[in-house]
Amino acid sequence: MDRRHFIKTTGGLSLTAGSGLLNTCSRLYAFDTSANLSRKEARYYKKHPDREIECLLCPRFCKLGDRERGYCGVRENIDGTYYTFVYGKACAVHLDPIEKKPFFHFLPQSRTLSLATAGCNVNCKFCQNWEISQVRPEQVEHQDFPPHQVVLTAQKYDSPIIAYTYTEPIVFFEYMIDTSIEAQKAGLRNVVVTGGHINPEPLQDLLPAVDAIKIDLKAFSELFYTEYVRGKLQPVLDAIKIIAQSSVWLEIVYLVIPSLNDSPEEIRQMSRWLKQTAGKDVPLHFSRFYPMYLLKNLPPTPTSTLERCHRIAREEGLHYVYIGNIPGHKAENTYCPQCQKLLIQRTGYSIGEKNLEEGRCKYCGQPIPGIWK
Amino acid sequence: MVLGKLNKMAQSRVVVIHGRGVHISNGQIDETKIIHMFQRGFQHLKNGISPSDCIRSLFHSDEHIGLKVNTLGGPKISTNPTISLLLAHWLTKGGLKPGNLLIWDRSNAELRQAGYRLTDNPGDIQIFGTDKPGAGYENALTVNQSIGSRFSRIQSRSISASISLAILKDHGLAGITAGMKNYFGAIHNPNKYHDFNCNPFIADLFETPPILQKHKLTILDGLNIQFHRGPSFHAKWNQKEEIFIFSTDPVAADATGWRLIEKLRASAGLPTLKEEKREPAYLFTAERKGLGRANLKYIEVIEDEI
Ligand code: SF4
Repeated sequence: MDRRHFIKTTGGLSLTAGSGLLNTCSRLYAFDTSANLSRKEARYYKKHPDREIECLLCPRFCKLGDRERGYCGVRENIDGTYYTFVYGKACAVHLDPIEKKPFFHFLPQSRTLSLATAGCNVNCKFCQNWEISQVRPEQVEHQDFPPHQVVLTAQKYDSPIIAYTYTEPIVFFEYMIDTSIEAQKAGLRNVVVTGGHINPEPLQDLLPAVDAIKIDLKAFSELFYTEYVRGKLQPVLDAIKIIAQSSVWLEIVYLVIPSLNDSPEEIRQMSRWLKQTAGKDVPLHFSRFYPMYLLKNLPPTPTSTLERCHRIAREEGLHYVYIGNIPGHKAENTYCPQCQKLLIQRTGYSIGEKNLEEGRCKYCGQPIPGIWK
Repeated sequence: MVLGKLNKMAQSRVVVIHGRGVHISNGQIDETKIIHMFQRGFQHLKNGISPSDCIRSLFHSDEHIGLKVNTLGGPKISTNPTISLLLAHWLTKGGLKPGNLLIWDRSNAELRQAGYRLTDNPGDIQIFGTDKPGAGYENALTVNQSIGSRFSRIQSRSISASISLAILKDHGLAGITAGMKNYFGAIHNPNKYHDFNCNPFIADLFETPPILQKHKLTILDGLNIQFHRGPSFHAKWNQKEEIFIFSTDPVAADATGWRLIEKLRASAGLPTLKEEKREPAYLFTAERKGLGRANLKYIEVIEDEI
């Protein structure tokens, strides 16, 4: 995927070179950028004897000797101290509509300054952004974009929201939380798009600094996580539980991959668990898979499969179930769970009719959960 | 000659050359002795033919040869620069062209830190990393089973034959790191392949065409062996062992290195790698794939001393 294609597929309004930022960096770059890596001491790690460390940020708990780097590729033990190399080193910056994350119950149609650094703590075989997520920071073009500048840029481009997205924001935790705190002070909102592979302590510390989190729940089976994600399901479920109990807005995306995570039983179990854990009002998006990265041998998800998933989740009692990546499908819209009338009409990332007033259904007055202003 | 996959019935030969006294005072090594160790190693590899004939039997005179070193551990625990250069010079005596020999690793910075002087002067032995301008990684992924990686263009394009000139050491996750794991430095995402004791990742990677079709020889630098708490340097568990291990069978070379590490561990009263749940099972996976011999029963070890 070249740079133009990446920008096109991400569908966002990219910042121009004149803004002093790079739009993205999907190409592996052959130069010695080590001098431009940050060297900020990481949070959440334990020092062990003989200059060894153990990272406590995510459930991988990487144990590393001197000069070794974690699985995510962005943190390194240097002489017994653990450093992040990506603090303030953005490799992708765009202005996107919030619907693209997707958040459907969070400030609809808002412009979102979206950013990422290199790196990820899993390796999904179907990753859409593998050219920046599955590389080390020195292998990708990046530029200095410190927290205060992120905030100034969001303000300059009339973006009320900053999104930490594209790769895996957990691996740039220190950068994300510092930026979020600065953004909050400036009256901006912060949203996080993540796989949810994070330990409880850092997650609890992050929650007060952010407004919404979207979790990519990639399946409802440990086997799938081992095989296709190279991670674990349980910590993701634990993270969802913690977020659901907080005041942070939560939405869930489930990418439906033909034959791998689309069985009616799995979808039913997942929907049931989600309703019990996060309540019937948590938005659940079933998203269409396209062949990608290391999973090119499967077809795109048939619309009928997505519709079946949608039906099952609704049968299990979830109120707001969506179908994504099929522009124009009526399950992109929000309907009132009380009177069934159309509340928000969507086509792709754009919004048509809107029948919400003060967070309530215009027709029957039913409160619709979300952050609407 | 392409090594390719081995005949199922073939026995593999591994040559272990001891160079007693190769370490001379103040951290220096006896260069003459090193050359003799190379000569003897090559001689034994091919049933006593002359070292130059052995070189000719492995490489044609126009071959572009990569000497893949391992410099991740810094100056104290990387493939010794003197050894790499001596080997490259010695290969030129066997008829290979200096400008066709490239000592390389992942990055210029790591090579420099390990004591290498970088050069790309035409006609000279080349020394640089994948991040040199003009090198870099392939855009396309090479995919094989558990592996999906971009190869260093040095491995995929610049060279036609490869020597894994690795340092032999204990590895906290893989069990041991030696000639096969050294090729993790030829791809862009090795950090993704350390789960499950690097098994089957190391074997799957070795099976990809850029390695399988080019790898011709493993030489393990065992002058100093980190036998515990690797891959970082810890003086307490580092032994001056003064050996080189040679083999055209990449699995057998590493399997022999593994047994040596186990011996050093046993003498220090340490548990086996299996007891520490980090046996290098990737070697058995590699054997099952036909990449070489891990089972000692099928490895003929020839030891000699200079
Ligand atoms: S954040 Fe990175 S270094 Fe830390 S445990 Fe996770 S993968 Fe390992």
